[in-house]
Amino acid sequence: MTAKMNETHEDNGAPHLDPTTPRYLTPEIARIHLGSRNALHVTVLNDRIYGGVYAAYIFPVRQPRKFVSLRYKNAKGEEIEVGIIWNLEEWPQTDRALVEEALHRHYFVHTITHIHHIGWKYGFIAFDVQTDKGPAQFLMRWQHDRAHDYGRGGKVLLDVDENRYLIPDLGTLSDKEREEFLRYVYW
Amino acid sequence: MVTTERSRVLQKDLPHSLQDELAKVHIQPNKVWLCTDTDLNLSGNYEQVWLAVSDDALAVLAEPKQAGQPAVRHFISRDEIQEVRVRQGVGGGFLETIVDDIVVVVLAFSNVKADIFHKVAGKLEQWMHKQAIEVDASDDADPRHCPKCGLTLQFKGDVCRRCVNRGAVLLRVLKLMRPYADKAAIMMVLVLIGAGISLIPQQLVRLLINKVLAPEQASNPPLDLATAKHWLMGLVGALLLTHIIGSLNNLGVLRLNSYVGTQITYDMRKRVFDRLMQLSIDYFDRYNVGQLISRVQGDTEQMKGFVQQLTTGFFQQIIMVLAVGTILFIMSWQLALVTLLPAPLVVAGSIWFWKRVYPRYYKVWDSNSKLAGVLNTILSGMRVVKAFAQESREINRFDRSNSYVRNSFRTVEYTVAKFNPTIGFIFQLGGLLVWFIGGIWVLQGRQITAAGGKAPLNLGDLISFLGYLWMFYQPLTQLTQLTNWLTGFLTATHRTFEILDTPIQIAESDKPISVPDMKGHITFENVTFGYDRHQPILKNISFEIKPGERIGVVGKSGSGKTTIINLLSRFYDIDHGRIAIDGVDIREMSKTDLRGQIGVVLQEPFLFRGTIYDNLTYGLADTTPEDVIAATKAANAHDFIMRQPLGYDTYIGERGAGLSGGERQRISIARAILYNPKILILDEATSSVDTESEKLIQDALLRITKGRTTIAIAHRLSTLKNSDRIFVVNRGEIIESGTHDELMTLQGTYHKLVKIQTELSGNVDSLQANVK
Ligand SMILES: Nc1ncnc2c1ncn2[C@@H]1O[C@H](COP(=O)(O)OP(=O)(O)O)[C@@H](O)[C@H]1O
Ligand SMILES: [Mg+2]
Repeated sequence: MTAKMNETHEDNGAPHLDPTTPRYLTPEIARIHLGSRNALHVTVLNDRIYGGVYAAYIFPVRQPRKFVSLRYKNAKGEEIEVGIIWNLEEWPQTDRALVEEALHRHYFVHTITHIHHIGWKYGFIAFDVQTDKGPAQFLMRWQHDRAHDYGRGGKVLLDVDENRYLIPDLGTLSDKEREEFLRYVYW
Repeated sequence: MVTTERSRVLQKDLPHSLQDELAKVHIQPNKVWLCTDTDLNLSGNYEQVWLAVSDDALAVLAEPKQAGQPAVRHFISRDEIQEVRVRQGVGGGFLETIVDDIVVVVLAFSNVKADIFHKVAGKLEQWMHKQAIEVDASDDADPRHCPKCGLTLQFKGDVCRRCVNRGAVLLRVLKLMRPYADKAAIMMVLVLIGAGISLIPQQLVRLLINKVLAPEQASNPPLDLATAKHWLMGLVGALLLTHIIGSLNNLGVLRLNSYVGTQITYDMRKRVFDRLMQLSIDYFDRYNVGQLISRVQGDTEQMKGFVQQLTTGFFQQIIMVLAVGTILFIMSWQLALVTLLPAPLVVAGSIWFWKRVYPRYYKVWDSNSKLAGVLNTILSGMRVVKAFAQESREINRFDRSNSYVRNSFRTVEYTVAKFNPTIGFIFQLGGLLVWFIGGIWVLQGRQITAAGGKAPLNLGDLISFLGYLWMFYQPLTQLTQLTNWLTGFLTATHRTFEILDTPIQIAESDKPISVPDMKGHITFENVTFGYDRHQPILKNISFEIKPGERIGVVGKSGSGKTTIINLLSRFYDIDHGRIAIDGVDIREMSKTDLRGQIGVVLQEPFLFRGTIYDNLTYGLADTTPEDVIAATKAANAHDFIMRQPLGYDTYIGERGAGLSGGERQRISIARAILYNPKILILDEATSSVDTESEKLIQDALLRITKGRTTIAIAHRLSTLKNSDRIFVVNRGEIIESGTHDELMTLQGTYHKLVKIQTELSGNVDSLQANVK
């Protein structure tokens, strides 16, 4: 079966995709694999193959290893949820790796591991930090809506370009780093 | 416009090594019309990846990292592509194409590049449809970056904070004081006089001791009792006089200080508010209202603090430290040096202390505003709290905030409580040192160098010296807070100036065209608009509405219907295209003429605290009660108003509390009728009204819309029965337009909507009959 043939089914309405009820995918009824042009595909038993799928967390902070939504945007531009992976751990290694890669692609986030210096520059807070993607300097507006809580002890910072910087848990920073951070981002 | 210059952003030079790779997939590098790079690869990691597009195909390529890795990562020929689009991820986005009905992610980009790839997607869409495309330097124009330094701005026309000269803040504050320059000068002089006066008493004390009380130790001739009594009375009188003069002087300073301080705060607040009134809705979408309130109230208050610092604050303290220090050295430089011994301790201790305490002050501010926020949310949502019986939960929530405030205050106050006694102790040490060393010198009759040459140190000198000592240390500790205060002040003032410096986006044009008598001929030409940086909400919309035409607009919620009318009223300015009324671009039209002749009835009508009558006549100078009653009758509002105990003079609460949704809408409709606009806009104006009153209102509207251009956005299609033409909006595009009959025969979206609604209401015939 080619993907094209499958796609044409959509207009008749895939019988199993009811937008008003969640559909949980398990390894028993679904396969995750790469299809044509390396796009992520999901094959659902008794349904069809979905191509060009991307993955997003439903509870990015609360339950990052569970509740992953697999979605695609159809030709009309509507976002459609193929299904929900309840627990990534119960999936075979290869499927899991593909979903993890897709998640990694969807969320472009720098995770801050160390804070070298924080200063005040032209009315912005200037950060000089170490991230999982290497050293980084960025400017953040000194406004409450630029730093959100992340779970209990973490913060997500949005810089002037709306790039995201994550401190998963302030508790893991050194006392000096934390104090410096809290001096500016005190809320 | 003839620009042949290449675009710096969209026509970059591909690295040579990659040019060869490109040739291998039969794209000639010199045929490439679009070439740009992104910062991410498809695994979501940083890598420079290139996109090159020729007439026939696009290729995505990057330097291979390992041997054997192909340089070309995607090659898609134009004829295969069914669609090009951008999908927003989190922190970045993706350029996607649909090929063989499958979504292919072409490349990924971080948000830094988002604007560029939205533009690229637009070009590729034209390319895919084989339309003529122009790429040149005009594509580099970028209203969302500072033209001077390239910093990303928060919205179009925002001030670049990097380029606002910050050093100038103090200068601007001083300029603000210019109207009060004379008063300020008097104030300064009074402060100087006050400092001088405060130095006198210690000299009188010295005289009292050395001349009257203990003359022998100062080698002065002893006085007989009567003369001594005279001297005593004279000196005490002089002391009294200096205190009286000092107090009067102080009174003058404080009064002037308060006058100038409150006046400047008033001026500043007025300026900020005036500016806020002129800023566009867009600004209020971006900034939260709480923040703006704190700017208007709190930050402007800082101006008063500045004036205070100039008088009773740092200015005075600096003068005191200098004056007293000089006196100390004149009296005895040896003893003065001794007193300076603890000074470094005081300064260092204070600086260390403020460094610790200041961050904790932030927490106090934060906790206070959070408490206010929680209180506001809970109290304004009381109905929900009660409905879900969540009182105890909210009590807990409030309790948490309340303890946060208590704890943050405690930390600050505990620290302050530790500091003050410590500093006091150091002072005492300084005093003891002077007592001890000075005491020995007095006993020894040691010669010291004073202003008048060499003389032995005596008791009077010592006592007055100690008096000056306190006057020296006190301002010294205060001065250590200068930098902290200055930082806080500059921040606050900066935030205030920022509002004043925000350009008025929806500005009146330089030469506004007056259209006092609008006909109501509306044209939209290729209008594109988005609230957000990256997402166009309306895409290339064009339509024409003739004067007096009644237009119905339907579409799913979120499709952009309200956005269209927001643009027509010019609450936002469009990104591309042109909106004209009677042939005049609305950006060139006088704003008063524009808004004064467009009447809008919103889904969520704006009502304020006041009487129903006030609400009805808001913004209307000469309305008679007869007009008002005629309007409310027409809007079917008269009867429910009459059921209120005080009729039209009944007070209604914030946002119309006390009225039902339908009643609020009917007041709003009556207001629009009174307004008598040339163009009437009804945005789901009858959505909360029951079917029966809706029918009455419809009839009323039919009467008042006669001869007026009317745009009615409707939820219930039955309300469109009087429309001359109907627009169907979907995802920011008008996908169908025509009369009801035309759209029904088209068998498209409108037909589907009508079918659904008639099925829902189960009354096909009545609707059909209504619509025709
Ligand atoms: N002030 C705003 N800021 C950002 N996005 C907005 C704003 N107002 C509306 N939108 C978005 O624009 C889209 C169209 O909204 P709107 O025109 O109100 O739709 P409709 O009136 O058709 O229901 C929606 O996706 C909505 O989320
Ligand atoms: Mg709306």
